[in-house]
Order: sequence, then C-alpha cells, then structure tokens
Amino acid sequence: MTGDSTAQRGTSEIAVEAKRALATAAAEPGSAKPDPILEARDMVRNFGGILAVDVEHLEVQRGSITALIGPNGAGKTTFFNLLTGFDEPTRGWWQFDGHQMSDVAAHRTAAMGMVRTFQLTKSLTKLPVIENMKLGATAQRGEKWWNALVPSLWRDQEHEIEARADELLARFALGHMRDEYAGALSGGQRKLLEMARALMTQPRLVMLDEPMAGVNPALKQNLNDHIRGLRDEGVTVLFVEHDMDMVHDVSDWVVVMAEGRIIAEGTPDQISNNPDVIDAYLGSHQGTSLLEDLEALEDLG
Amino acid sequence: MDWEAIFEGTVKSFIGINAVYFAIAAIGLNVQFGFTGLLNFGQAAFMAAGAYGLGMTAHYFGISFWWGIGIGIVYAIVLGLLMGIPTLRLRADYLAIVTIAAAEIVRLVVRSVKFKDVFGGSDGINEFSGEFRRVGTDVGFEVADSYGFWWFTFTGRQMWTLVVGWILVAFFGTLVYMLMKSPWGRVLKAIREDEDAVRSLGKNVYSYKMQSLILGGVIGTFSGMVFALDRGSVQPDNYSRDVTFYVLTALVLGGVAKVSGSIVGPMLFWAIFVFIESTLREFTRDGPVRIGDFTLIDSTQVGQINLALIGLMLMLLMIFRPQGLFGSRKEMAFDDR
Amino acid sequence: MVIALFAIVAGLLALADAPAHAQDTEYAIRVRVLDQQRDASGRADNQPVEGVSITVVDADGAEIGAAVTDAEGMALIAVPAPGDYVVRLDEETLPDDLGLAGESTAEEAVTPSSFVTSTTNITFFTGESQSFGQSGVEKVAQRLADGVRLGLILAMCSVGLSLIFGTTGLTNFAHGEMVTWGALVAFLLNVTGIGFLGFLDFLPLIDSDGRFQLFLTVPIAVVVGGMFGWLSDWGIFARLRRRGIGLITQMVVTVGLSIMLRNLFLYRFGGRTRPLRNYSLQEGVDIGPVTITPRDIVTALVSLAVLVAVASALQYTRIGKAVRAVSDNPDLASATGINSQQVIRLVWVAGGSLAALGGIFRALDEQVGFDMGSRLLFLMFAGITLGGLGSAFGALVGGFLVGVLVELATFVVPSELKNTPALLILILVLLLRPQGILGRAERVG
Repeated sequence: MTGDSTAQRGTSEIAVEAKRALATAAAEPGSAKPDPILEARDMVRNFGGILAVDVEHLEVQRGSITALIGPNGAGKTTFFNLLTGFDEPTRGWWQFDGHQMSDVAAHRTAAMGMVRTFQLTKSLTKLPVIENMKLGATAQRGEKWWNALVPSLWRDQEHEIEARADELLARFALGHMRDEYAGALSGGQRKLLEMARALMTQPRLVMLDEPMAGVNPALKQNLNDHIRGLRDEGVTVLFVEHDMDMVHDVSDWVVVMAEGRIIAEGTPDQISNNPDVIDAYLGSHQGTSLLEDLEALEDLG
Repeated sequence: MDWEAIFEGTVKSFIGINAVYFAIAAIGLNVQFGFTGLLNFGQAAFMAAGAYGLGMTAHYFGISFWWGIGIGIVYAIVLGLLMGIPTLRLRADYLAIVTIAAAEIVRLVVRSVKFKDVFGGSDGINEFSGEFRRVGTDVGFEVADSYGFWWFTFTGRQMWTLVVGWILVAFFGTLVYMLMKSPWGRVLKAIREDEDAVRSLGKNVYSYKMQSLILGGVIGTFSGMVFALDRGSVQPDNYSRDVTFYVLTALVLGGVAKVSGSIVGPMLFWAIFVFIESTLREFTRDGPVRIGDFTLIDSTQVGQINLALIGLMLMLLMIFRPQGLFGSRKEMAFDDR
Repeated sequence: MVIALFAIVAGLLALADAPAHAQDTEYAIRVRVLDQQRDASGRADNQPVEGVSITVVDADGAEIGAAVTDAEGMALIAVPAPGDYVVRLDEETLPDDLGLAGESTAEEAVTPSSFVTSTTNITFFTGESQSFGQSGVEKVAQRLADGVRLGLILAMCSVGLSLIFGTTGLTNFAHGEMVTWGALVAFLLNVTGIGFLGFLDFLPLIDSDGRFQLFLTVPIAVVVGGMFGWLSDWGIFARLRRRGIGLITQMVVTVGLSIMLRNLFLYRFGGRTRPLRNYSLQEGVDIGPVTITPRDIVTALVSLAVLVAVASALQYTRIGKAVRAVSDNPDLASATGINSQQVIRLVWVAGGSLAALGGIFRALDEQVGFDMGSRLLFLMFAGITLGGLGSAFGALVGGFLVGVLVELATFVVPSELKNTPALLILILVLLLRPQGILGRAERVG
C-alpha cells in the first residue's frame, strides 16, 4: 500500500477480474458472484417486533467496490453491525473469505482482515492523530501488558508501525496534522483519518458507513479517489451511502435495501433505471408520519 | 487560635500517611477511571482486600506477613473478576452500581458476627504489624526516636511506614507511567474515549477493561496494606463506600489521567482536609459557636462539616474544572459524548 | 447553581436544629432478661425475669455500674460515652428454675458502634429457644409480609431513580438522600415542630409547638420532597445538561451531592435514629399467620394505591405518555413537539415526591436516620436493574421483588447480611438478562 493519491496507479488484477465478473453477474437481489469475499444467507434481526434486517442472500465480489444504498431506516447500518459482530442477528449465517463468522466477536473480525468505519465518525479526539493511526495496527507486541513494561520488546515494531502510519497520513494529506490532537481536525479530515486508521489494520475488506456524510463537496472527490485507490490495490470495499452521484461515480456494483430487505442489485446504470428502487425511495414514508412512528415505539415500551 | 499548630499539621499532612495511602489508591483508581474511563466506585473494597489479606495471614494463619501481600493480591483479582465479568460488556454505569454494591457487601461480610472467626467482626483484626515493625528497626528506624526536620518530624515508627509508603507510591507511579506510555496504555486511553472504535480496530476491549480494573484494584490493595500496617489493625468501617469517593475527590483535585495528578491530588486533599479540620476544631475548642440560640457548629460536627465540604468540592471540581488543578483539558476525556 | 446549593443548605439549616442537641446526650445500656415461653396459640410470649444482677465493666475491667432487673425484666445502666463495655449477668441471681438459654453466655460485649442511639439494648434469654414455636408456614408468611412492605417502599423510591435514568441517562447516586430528605422533613414537622406556627393550634392536627400530626405531615413532606427534586434539576442538572456536560461527569456530581447532603443531614440531625411522634409504637394485629400493626397495613395500602396511580398515570395520561416517549427516544419525542426539558423537570419532581413518601414510610418502620436513604440506594439499584434500567414499570416490579427477596433471604443468610442476596440478584441479572425483566435490548448503531 504505497504511493500517493494523485499519481496514476496500476489497477490490480483482482480489480480487473472483479469488473469482468460483475459484468456477467445477474442484476437481481441475491445474485451469485464468481468469487465472493463476503457471503450472507438468511440474516434476520428483530428489534422487539420490528424487522430491521431480513436479508435472504448477498454476495460481495472480491476486488469490487460495492455500494449499499437505501432510504433512511432501511437497515443498512444494522446490517453492517451484524456483519462486523457489533450486533447479533436473531438468526442467520455469513462467511468472510472462507471463515464462518456467526460466532466471531467484533474485535476478531479486524484481525481477520475485515474492518469497518462508523456513520458518526469515531476519531479519538483526545489522542494525537499519529496515536490514532498507530492504534490501528494489529498484532502489536506492546499491547500485551506483560510486554508493555519492557520497551525493548516492542520498540522496533512501534517504529515500523509509525513509518507505515506516516505513509498513510501523507497519502491522505494529513501528514501536517500528525502531532495535533484529532479533535483539532475538521469533519472531513476526521473521515479521512478514520479511513486511514482502518487501513492500518491491513484489511482485505473495508466497510465504510456513509463515508461522505458531512464532508464538503471539494473533499468528496478526494475521498472517491481514495476509495478507488483501495480497490486498485486489491482491497474490496463495501460502503453505505446516500449520495447517489457518488455511488454512481465510484461503485462497480450497487445493492439496494429497503425495509430490511434487499430489493435490487446491479451495476450503477442498471440500478438508476430500476423502477423498484425509485419506488422504495419515494414511497418509503407515504402514509406514515413521525407521530405514528412514535406510537409504534411506545407500543414496544 | 494556635495558628502554628494548624499550619504544622497542614504541612505535615502533605507527606503524612494519609496522603500516602490515598496516593496509592488514587494511582490505582486513575488507571481505571482516569485512563480507561471505568467507574470503579468500589476501590474501598480493593483496599479492604489488601488490609484483610495481611491481617488474616499474620493473625490467623500464623505465617509470615509477606504471604499476606500475595493473598491480598489474590483477593483483589477475585474481586475484580467478580465485579468485571457481569458488567464490563455493558454500559459504564453498571460497573459503578455493581462496584458500589460489592464494596458495601464486602464491608458487611467482614464486619458480620457470622464470620467473626475469619474477619474479626466489627473489631477487625489487630496486632499483626509486629513483623513489619521489626524490619523497620532492622534497617535502622528506632521506634521511639524522631526523624526528619522542621515540621516534618515523625517518630521512627511513623517514618518507617512513610518510607515504605512513598517507595510504593514512586514504584506504582513509575509503573503506571510506563504502562501508559506503551501501546497497551494507548489502547486503554482509546477505550476511554470510544470503545466501539477500538473494537473495530481489532482490540479485545473487554479483556483490556478487565486488565485495567484488576491492575487498578491490585494497586488499591497495596494502599489498604500500607494503611493497615501503619495502624497495626484492620477495621471494617475504615473501608466504607465513601472512602472511594474521597479518593476520587483527591484524584480529580490533582488531575485525572495524569500520574502526577494522582500523587499530588491526595497530598493537597489531605492538606486541605487537615487545615479545615484543625481550624474548625480551634474555633469550637471552647464550646459551640452560636448565633443567638442557633448552634452553628460544635466540636462533634467538625468532621461532618468537613466531609460535606468535600462533597461540595467534588461537585464543583467536576463541573468547573474536571481536569483538576494540573490536568490538561485537551487530554482529559472520560466523558466526551 | 451556586444559588441552588445555597438554597439547599439554607433549607437544611432550618431543619431540626433543636432535637439533635437539646435532648440529653447521656448514654446508657438497657439490659433485659427474658424467659422464652409460648402462649396458648403457640406464639412466642417471652416473660420478664425480675431480680437478676447485671454489671457493666469497661474494657479495663473496671466496674461502670450495676443494677437489678425490675418487674419488666429491665435494668438501665448509664455509661459515660460510647465505648467498649462488657455486660455481665450474675447467674447466681437467676431464679433457681431458670438457666441461660442454649449456647448463650453470661457476658455480652458492647462496642462503640453498638450505640446507634444513645441507648444500646442487650437481651439475655433464659429457657429453651422458642423459635420453633412458629411453624414454617407462619415464618414464611411473616417474612413475606415484611418483604411486601419493604418491596412497596423500595418500588416507590425507585420509580424516580429509574425515570430520571430513562429520560436523561443519568444514574443519580444522590437519590438515597431524596428518600432521607422526606423523612427528615416529616421529622421536622411532626417531632421538632415549627415554633412560630404554634398560633395555628386552633386548627386540627397542629399543636401549640407548631407540631403537625402525621396525617398533615405526610402531604406537606411529600410536596417539600417534590420541591427538592425540582430544585436539584433546576439548580444543578438542567444547567449541566444545557452546558453539554457529559453523563459520567454528571454522575460523579451526584456522588458529590450525595456526600454533601448526607453529611449536612448528619450535621443538623445527628447520628442517632429517632422515631416519628405518631404511630411509632403499635400493638400488632393477627391476620391469619401474620402479625402486623394497623400502621403497616395503612402504609402498605397507601403505597399500593400510590403505585397503581403512578402506573396508570404513566400508562393512560397524556403527560405519562410524554414521559415514556422521552424515555424511549428524546430526539423523536422533541420532534413531535414534546418539551423534553419540562418532562424531565416533572420526572424529578415526581421522583422527589415519591422518594419522600417512601422515606416517611420507611421512617415509620425503622425510625428516622441521616443515612436511611443511602442504605436503601443499593437495594434500589438492584431493583431497577432487575426491572430494567429506565423502565418505570420495571422499577415498580423490580423494587418490589428485591424487597421481598431480601426479607425472604433471611431464612438462608443471617439478617445482618440480608442485603447480600441483592448483589447476587444484580450480578445474575447483568449476566443473564442485562436489560432486566421489562427492559428492551438496546439497539446498537
């Protein structure tokens, strides 16, 4: 993972392969892909009577950029939480790169090569930027308390990690902020930091939850480049997004969720012409109001 | 008004035994609360674990009190697991509730008639520090002689405990300082701010919180040991739940999430405490202070007023200067949501 | 905020100055010698033993005083101050046909901590233990009755704690002091009296010392308890919320508040526990297997009525629904036009009132003491955790269950340790069902 964001990068073979594979994949919910890095089957999450997620089948092609879109409350973030172990499904089965994940704790997923970011940025504002980055590295010897007291055991590794962190910071144009507290960063910079920090885990699959939310338009293009850059290095990207322009611009494949279900899949072009999708976006709140939502909530209590 | 006595007492209490055992307890609490954001409201129970560990070995088992240190540590680990296992996966307040409850139960059990044979009931355990004192005499602190200079003059007996105590403060202070500079400490500080972020980066947050809780508890155990050795006795009512809160106040006063804060805070705390206490005592020495028929304060109420002021100090510090006198607001973050 | 604190302090200063110090501070040990007997229906009916010599010696063995038991089987021996004493019964002076019961010895130790009030009680029993006189069923029934009373009080005290948590996320460690506050206000009105209101003695229920009969005291103290809740929120917590001060900071503030208030209570009220003036001593009435005083029946029925009223208000009234809506989701509630700050204020007031009522009832049961509320705090926590943190109905159910369980637990553990099962409940609930009985699993993300 070297190079900077502006230079032309060679597209990895995996990414080329992915593009080719997706061109032949069926544009329908639950469509099979030739080489899925992530596969979910029959995943259901119930919140006291409300069906938040009900995904029958989803495959994410290795090396692709896959967008997960849908109206508010469609269950996208909940689905993310389930896949990454931050929430437990009522039932379901899923696997990542050949590993059955149902009983894998959230913190283990990162070590396995699957890392996520959050809708509300979770930069650790009271730690310096560089410490934020170094935290991301996995398998640190100095993170065991019995080693922590003997710096000679982890100092070399720490230097390596720091060098890698500096490289990534430079690539995300945050190098000049390295010693500032993360709290001093702008909202967009925090998004970048969170993404860079996630990359410190050296993932094979990056899951971004609304990377563009709250980011100013100038920076959006920049973020898009970073996402494409990841793919070009062979990292698979799955991201939740509202911004249709961005989705169209960057993704190889689009998955649409509404009311917990996957209602459509396809290439960006196929999706923008899909009537079901338009219905889902426009019709999702017809006939209901916030007041009724409130009453629904009350009935749960 | 005997101002000289008041000031002498105040100055002395900067380095006195109370500052020592509070400092050790605060260093431990700081690992949990300051660095990891864990609300351990039962530090008193950990302190009791150490004190009873020592007392029981020397008094009942009849083995050298050195074993008591080990037993105290084992107690603390068991206590930490008991408090941590049910709560550390849940929101922060559950730990607070369970620790405060566990501390109360520990106190009830050790003072109970039922277990009087084991813990000595409400009288506690006495006369077990002989061996410790002998070591003091061996290294040259004659019990009855006085040591020190100016107002800082102590008897050999006190001085020996102080020396051991301050060595422990320095040791644990350095230990925690080094740990917090390491990647391990980085994980704790990150957990304090946002545990989900840390989890997403592949750290076992639960395990780190447990390590932090137990480390802080074990350090707290040593605080209880020092206190017990100084007194030569363990009494259950010295480990009431409010003790934790006084330690917390001392910590917040010095500065949360700073090792120096956890040492300076208790020194200041006791200086303030002794100053108020002895001043009020002087005021009430010749009978209650009255305004008309209204008794403002008499000598039995001095301690109560003083503790009420400590409660007020804790509130005001948390509201207006949560980083304490020496902490930095930029770094201090047990609560940033 | 500072103003509010001053207001609280000023209120405290007004509280019960006289009784703490006007009364004698003489200490005494009251010794009773009882012969264990049963009455016709098989219940314990201990008889006093007269003419037994009792001696009190101090820690050094020096005699402090001696006395002979009177017709009540009672001997009162004054001591200079709380301290370590040994109370000795001269077995030679026991009637020939009587001997000390089972394993009991002729000596009892008294420690300084025994002097919770100025008088500490020591009882010597002779004859055979009659504890088997009550059948198992009767014992269970009696405990159950005690448990129900404690449970109702706990439920009342906990509702506010749970609702405050539900609407603001704050765990209020000073909630115990709200309970104590209610009892102290009742003590002030009922026992100390408000001197300058003495001219109202032409009214019923008020005497010339400005003392209010309990029936008048209770509603006033409940209102004052509500004011205390209002003041806490208006003066402190509403301001902290507005300044965006985090919950953990606020929680530590409640800890400071609790320490401050408790010590101020101690400062004004003193460390002794004292009873309210009316209905503190009553003969029990037998109802089936259970002995219960009319007072307890009344308080239990009132508690039950209040709890039902609270539950129905939450369930059916507009404002109750608003409270639950804010509890569920403050943002959503605001979006529908509910003023969540007002709702929170209301919750504090209601919580303060209920805590005050619970405190008064507890005081009728156990006397008034400066730390009576904070002793209950941990049971309240166990209750609301069991019921489901933040759920009002959960607090009712959980508080009640914990009260019953704690009393029933005395069959298994000694009564001095009867609170330990509450910790066990707490731990088990958190391990098995952290959302509690009526709580809902939290949605993540």
